[in-house]
Amino acid sequence: MEHHASLLAQWLTQVLGLSRHAWFGFAHGAPLSVLERYDHLLNAALAALTAMLVTALVRKNLARIPGPLQQIFEGVVEGLKEMINDNIAHHGERYLPFIGTMALFVFFNNFFGLIPALSPGTSNWNITLGSALVVFGYYNFHGMREQGFLKYWAHFMGPIWWLAPLLFPLEILGLLSRILSHSLRLFGNIAGEHVVAGIFFGLMPILLPVPMMFLGLFFGLIQTFVFTMLTTIYLSGAVSHEH
Amino acid sequence: MKKFLTTAFLFTLAAVAFAQGAPVVQKSLFEGQYVAHLSLAIAAAGCGLGQGKAVMAACEGVARNPQAAGNIRTTMIIGLALIEALVIYVLVAAFAIK
Repeated sequence: MEHHASLLAQWLTQVLGLSRHAWFGFAHGAPLSVLERYDHLLNAALAALTAMLVTALVRKNLARIPGPLQQIFEGVVEGLKEMINDNIAHHGERYLPFIGTMALFVFFNNFFGLIPALSPGTSNWNITLGSALVVFGYYNFHGMREQGFLKYWAHFMGPIWWLAPLLFPLEILGLLSRILSHSLRLFGNIAGEHVVAGIFFGLMPILLPVPMMFLGLFFGLIQTFVFTMLTTIYLSGAVSHEH
Repeated sequence: MKKFLTTAFLFTLAAVAFAQGAPVVQKSLFEGQYVAHLSLAIAAAGCGLGQGKAVMAACEGVARNPQAAGNIRTTMIIGLALIEALVIYVLVAAFAIK
C-alpha cells in the first residue's frame, strides 16, 4: 500500500523543521520525516489524548442534572454494562474499565478519519494489531487467574481425552487466529472506508465524499461496537466456569 | 446466467486484446492487480449473498416476534461483522498484492 501521511503530520514536519529521508523498505524509498513515517502513532496518540481529555472533562463536571456530554457518557456506560452482564455470568463489571477504555480508544481512532487533515489510527494495521494483542493478553490472563493455569489450558483439550491430541493444536490455532481476525477486521473496514472516501474526494472534492463520510460515521460506530462485543465474548469464554 | 458469464468472459478477453497494441509488457490475467480486483469481486458477491440471507432471517424473526428485536439486532450485527470479515481479508490481500 502506498503511504499517505496525514496533513497534520506534513504540517508539523514543516513547522518543526524536521528532516526528510528515505526509510528502508517503506513507501518505495520516498523521503519522509519521522512524523510522516509514524503517522499512525501520531494519530493514535492524539486519539487517546482526546479520549482522556473528554473523559476527564466529563468526570470533572459530573452533575446531578446531567449535561448533554454527561448524558452521552452515561448512555455509553449503561450500554457497556448491559452488554457485559448479558455475556459474562458472574461479576462481569470488574472488566468494565478495560472494555470501556478499548471502546473509547477504538471509537476516537475511527472518528479521526472524518476530521480533515487527520487520518484514523486504526487504518494502520500496527494500531489494531496492538489493540488485539492487548485484548488477547488480557483475556488469557484473566482466564488463567479465574480458572487456574492448568484448568484454563486443559479447557482446550476438548471433552473427550482421546481426541485431545487432535483438538489441542486446533484450539490453539483458533486462539491465535483470533488476534488476526480481531485486528484485520477493524483495520480493513476503517482503511477501506478511508480509501474509498479519499478516492471520492479525488474525483470531486465538494459534496461527493459526504455520503461516504456518513457511511464512515456509521461504520466507525458499528466497528467499535463489534470490536467491543468480540472482546466481551472472548473474555466471557475465557473466564466462564463450566458448572 | 450462462449467457451472462460468456459475455463477461468475452469482455475480459476484449480488454486484453485491445490492450495488446500498447508497447507496455502485458501482464497475464492471473497476476497482480487483475487477481486482486477479481478476487475482491468474487468475495463481495459471496458476502452479499450471505449477508442478504442473514438479514432476511433477522427481519423474519423481528416480524414474528417484535419483542426479541433488540437481541436479534445484536446477534445479526455480530454475524454480519463476522461474514464481512472474510471480504475484509480479501481486501487486505488486495492491498498487499498492489
